[in-house]
Amino acid sequence: MSWEEFWIILVCCGITMLICRVVPLFALKGKELPPKMIMALNLIPPAAFAALVANDILSPGMFASGFWPAGAVIIAALVVVLVAVKTKSLLLCAVAGVVAYALLLAI
Amino acid sequence: MIPHAHIKDAFIAAVPIILGYVAIGVPCGILCNEIGLNALQVFILSALFYSGAGQFMIPNLYLTATPLSSIIASVSLVNTRQMLYSASLAPECQSSSKLLSFFFAATVTDESYGVSIAKFKEGEWSVDRGLMVNLFSQTSWALSNVAGVLVGSVLDIPLPIASFAMTSIFICLLFTQKLSAANVIAAAFAMIGVFVCKLLGFAGAAIIIGALAGVACAFAYLMVRDGRRRS
Repeated sequence: MSWEEFWIILVCCGITMLICRVVPLFALKGKELPPKMIMALNLIPPAAFAALVANDILSPGMFASGFWPAGAVIIAALVVVLVAVKTKSLLLCAVAGVVAYALLLAI
Repeated sequence: MIPHAHIKDAFIAAVPIILGYVAIGVPCGILCNEIGLNALQVFILSALFYSGAGQFMIPNLYLTATPLSSIIASVSLVNTRQMLYSASLAPECQSSSKLLSFFFAATVTDESYGVSIAKFKEGEWSVDRGLMVNLFSQTSWALSNVAGVLVGSVLDIPLPIASFAMTSIFICLLFTQKLSAANVIAAAFAMIGVFVCKLLGFAGAAIIIGALAGVACAFAYLMVRDGRRRS
């Protein structure tokens, strides 16, 4: 990739990213938000985390080549769910997830 | 200035993200090096663009000879999900200065949004701590990307296993949400939404469409429930 191509990608992607990151916050900041709006905003965290998890572990063709290796992802995810419920620790979840997934792929 | 105690709080909260970013930042740097980006370019990209998903997509698409305009469109589409985080963080920034709110909003990622919003809901959190979480995360991301470019071949981190650290962080954030009917509906329909998007070939917008579907379904549920209570 040339420097010229690099700058084009950086500037264009950087601008769209900055708009997405900053504009909604400033559109709402400093305004009296109606209760229904607050209610909807409070639903974003569970919906976003679920969407991110689903995006990582689910895909239409995941079991096309049999239960394994897609099953390893699902089982490792269930291990993390247990650790999450028991400990509520992000760090322990990340470590448990990586170890469980690596072990499952190794067997 | 940000009090020393807040910086310490932020560092402790950021540790899982920092470790995860090291694990995926190095492979990202290696990939960027494959399309001829040098350490300086990778650093600039991490400093001014700062997107894990985006910085993997750019080299992957470039390797398949995708035109620049398509790369920009695809990367920008995937990053539209940041709008949801931005809106969600707005109520927490009501009493913060414009400058602090701007830098906080401009440096949020999937993971640092998750950590900060969870901390805000617990209480005892503030925008300056959130900004420091973002900056600690960004620093580890930028440095591990540069390390990937410079000494990548020495460090062989298998990407699928490393990126499962991020998945695990999202799982933890999801399962530490309050167990209310509305939250369960939001999560379930978000997952269904993501799967349907992928099935229909809209993988690029799957996260934002799925999340919006979850929010819409749970919102409709709350409206119907409250309507019944009133009548």
